Amino acid sequence: MRNGSKSESRNPKWRAAAAALLFVGLAAAPAFAADPPRLAGELDAKGLADAVARNHGKVVLVNFWATWCVPCREEYSDLIRLEKTYRDRGVAVLGVSIDFAKDLPKVEKFLAANHPEFPNYMKRSGGDDQDFIDSVDKKWGGELPFTVLYARDGTKARVLSGKQTYASFEKAVTELLR
Amino acid sequence: MKASRALLFLLLTAALASPALADGPAIGAPAPTFDLKTLDGKPFSLADASKSNKAVVLMFIATKCPVSNAYNDRMRDIANEYGKKGILFVGINSNNTEPESEVRSHATEHGFAFTIVKDPGNKVADLYNAQHTPEIFIVGPDGKLIYHGRIDENQQEPAKVASPDLKNALNEILAGQPVAKAETKAFGCSIKRV
Repeated sequence: MRNGSKSESRNPKWRAAAAALLFVGLAAAPAFAADPPRLAGELDAKGLADAVARNHGKVVLVNFWATWCVPCREEYSDLIRLEKTYRDRGVAVLGVSIDFAKDLPKVEKFLAANHPEFPNYMKRSGGDDQDFIDSVDKKWGGELPFTVLYARDGTKARVLSGKQTYASFEKAVTELLR
Repeated sequence: MKASRALLFLLLTAALASPALADGPAIGAPAPTFDLKTLDGKPFSLADASKSNKAVVLMFIATKCPVSNAYNDRMRDIANEYGKKGILFVGINSNNTEPESEVRSHATEHGFAFTIVKDPGNKVADLYNAQHTPEIFIVGPDGKLIYHGRIDENQQEPAKVASPDLKNALNEILAGQPVAKAETKAFGCSIKRV
């Protein structure tokens, strides 16, 4: 039995299953309660639409980022500050990591180091990447960082391509709060 | 007053001139020609290369972009396969953030046997309005653009590719057929122009 267990633990399928269970466990965890912050789960185009819809009535800012993207990392602290400042005024911030699935540990490490108080997801791997990109914005080509703002009624209101300043995030949000 | 009129004229001229450059070539239009040196120090002329090959595949690539890197093996394999059939592949690195020495070592590391040129000042990227890595342009023997877009739709899982757009285009070109899906949307990292 012991030998069998050892071989199972070395089996890539068992490892993949264990990783999947771990990921599901993380995904099921509350988005805010965990400390350090964890991923809220994976999402595809429908999952993104659902996540935005769950915040109906709020201005929703969705930021697409990746651990390898330097300007994404640079602007991330501004998003954390923005969310803290505006959460009680009707603003929800969602982060979506575009990192590949193999880089999940890097994503978790980044979140643990930065402590965002808003949910962060990973784009679901596989499938038609262009479907996802197009669902976010037809003019988007996957370049990062990329930010989409949705008005209180859930309609897409604005896109911000490239690195932003706190002031530009704030301006975009406050215009939609009026 | 005269100075401000001159400035206004210059601004208007720039505004009128810029859209043509910003748009990049359309499918069927002449592909902008350019001359650069390869990483081996040899001259490369698109005008000459297109005349002497069944097609020239221009691939805007990067060393640090994970999306472009996810396609390294696919670019190497497609270039090896179709290079034997008379198609010339040219990797173009337009990223100002990636020096030639890095481009060279990256090519060695990933077994790139195709021609690679460094594009100082993003001039070729600007001529084509290339925005992403990887981004593909195919130029025919008549110097016209035949295909523009992506390699395929699946970044992370090459074994599950359902729409091998670049290979489809090359197969159609080799069969003497028009490319059915001549334009797809390239996606990936932005070309680093600063």
